[in-house]
Amino acid sequence: MNTPVLLALSTLCFLGGFSYAVVALRTGLHRPSWANLGIMIAGFLLQCLVLRDWGALHGRCPITNAPEVLVFLGWSLVLLYFILGRAFRLSLLGVFTAPLVFLLQTVALVLLLAHGPYPPEKLVPTDIWHELHAAVSLLSFGAFGLAAMAGLMYLVQDRQLKSHHPGQLFYSLPPIRYLTDAITRLLGIGLILLSGGIVSAYLMNARTFTPHVGLSAVIWAAYAGLLTWHFLRRGSPKRFAGASVVAFLLPLMQLALL
Amino acid sequence: MLLCLGINHKTAPVEVREKLAFADSHLPEAIREMRRLEGMEETVVLSTCNRVEIYSAVNDPERAMESLREYLTRHFDLGDFAQHIDFYHHSGVGAAWHLFRVASGLDSMVLGETEIFGQVKKAYATAQEAGGTARRLNKLFQQAFQVGKLVRSSTRITHGSTSIGSVAVDLAEKIFGELSGCQVMIVGAGEMSRRTGKSLLSRGAKSIIVSNRSHDRAVELAEEMGGKAVRFDDWEETMIHVDIVITSTAAPHSIIHPAMVETVMKKRRGRSLFIIDIAVPRDVEPAVNELENVYLYDIDALEMMASEAREERERQIALCEAVIQSHLDENGITALAPIPDRPPTGKDRSRPGNDCVGESPEADPITHS
Repeated sequence: MNTPVLLALSTLCFLGGFSYAVVALRTGLHRPSWANLGIMIAGFLLQCLVLRDWGALHGRCPITNAPEVLVFLGWSLVLLYFILGRAFRLSLLGVFTAPLVFLLQTVALVLLLAHGPYPPEKLVPTDIWHELHAAVSLLSFGAFGLAAMAGLMYLVQDRQLKSHHPGQLFYSLPPIRYLTDAITRLLGIGLILLSGGIVSAYLMNARTFTPHVGLSAVIWAAYAGLLTWHFLRRGSPKRFAGASVVAFLLPLMQLALL
Repeated sequence: MLLCLGINHKTAPVEVREKLAFADSHLPEAIREMRRLEGMEETVVLSTCNRVEIYSAVNDPERAMESLREYLTRHFDLGDFAQHIDFYHHSGVGAAWHLFRVASGLDSMVLGETEIFGQVKKAYATAQEAGGTARRLNKLFQQAFQVGKLVRSSTRITHGSTSIGSVAVDLAEKIFGELSGCQVMIVGAGEMSRRTGKSLLSRGAKSIIVSNRSHDRAVELAEEMGGKAVRFDDWEETMIHVDIVITSTAAPHSIIHPAMVETVMKKRRGRSLFIIDIAVPRDVEPAVNELENVYLYDIDALEMMASEAREERERQIALCEAVIQSHLDENGITALAPIPDRPPTGKDRSRPGNDCVGESPEADPITHS
């Protein structure tokens, strides 16, 4: 099976997972289920196959063009969701993650269809710092993406609590305190990973700061500021949640500029 | 043949139910005694505060029923009082149908409550240990557990909370998660606030602080709930440290204003505040709910959520019964006993069928649920 077909199947899995969860939520019968998790796992495995194929083509971590970056970011999101979603008692995070991954991969598919196959881009000589920078930075963006999704969940739950007319989603969404904790932890994890990404970028560029590294530093500073603001209890959890959603535009902008 | 003989909250007042309640410690012996009765082969006794039901596999239904009644009269020393007890009976598929409804919470006082499922499980385990069950009741109860789970997972029968106290607890849990770290303050020591406070404590709230115009009453309630009392002049200051405030004072006007809560919130360093206002007239100005990180619910908002949940559960009954019926059909429950009649379905359940042989149609909880 060729790579775009695998990617399309993976994208459909995430659409399926999202649709399944939405239907379950609308009927008020959403519970963490093996069926839903199974669809997400299938999508993830297909992502792995896509990235393996691209990795073999380039002989390096497959983040050489826009579709690859988008798929790698989607893969990071799902990987972190699998690792952290249950640990943070946020099984519903998958419902919010699936449409984002679907969107990222749909854009990747459209670009692939419009542009045609991208040429292989081998690194000669192989630069470990370059690969480490790209992979770790994208993983950190995955953590920031998940934090944004948790922030979105917070805003939805807060609105339901304030409205006095909670809908079906109210009973499935986690408590807002757990969501605040999850955002904090995810931003912390993202910040640590991004620190690694910036250090490796600095080393890959022979210890010089390029505009690209500068932009990463701006993102790092923005998230560090957000966490500090939260730890100093300067803002309400709602503003913290809202800021985590808005802040995710920064990593997305950097990806768009690549 | 399967047989069910019992009373419940719909057919018997508490004065009757308490006379027939089996003590846990006597239950194994009672089961062994019942098994030895003429016509009886297997027995499970479900004895809760809302029902006493005896499920049996029998070889001679009429004889078993008679000996069971005699046994109950003797065991509980009922004498002539026994004649005034309206037992309901179900046999064959009717008994299975009834047990499945019970295990699914459809026959409970609070529709859809889940505690009964555990009670049925416990009753079965006790009977099993006492040697009261064999092939037929083992199969019946295993099916009942399957159906109970299926009904709960495929319908919204357990959805929401149906009382003001439990709605308040649900909301608190949606804000704070586990309540083990939560401090509760009661302002105005009324009965409703006492009950709501107890609900929160029963779900793990850390401690209770009580404030009342009459400090003696505050001390009394605080002692009852294992908390502490604060002077009425100090409750505003205390609000900085608590997570949940229940107000029910008799004040003729509101005593909590947005400006006051805003000042409190600044000192709380980002911690959420849940205010439950069950006073009429209200103690808290509605505009307080507009403040960030403050969640205010008054008595109407809580009652509306409870009432919506009750209505939703009522709407789910037909769906739950369809799940039970389809389970009966798919699993050939009729194979449990040679019953000549078809199981109660749809309209048939609204009239007494051959498998519901209650003393009167009114006594049959199936036909009148």
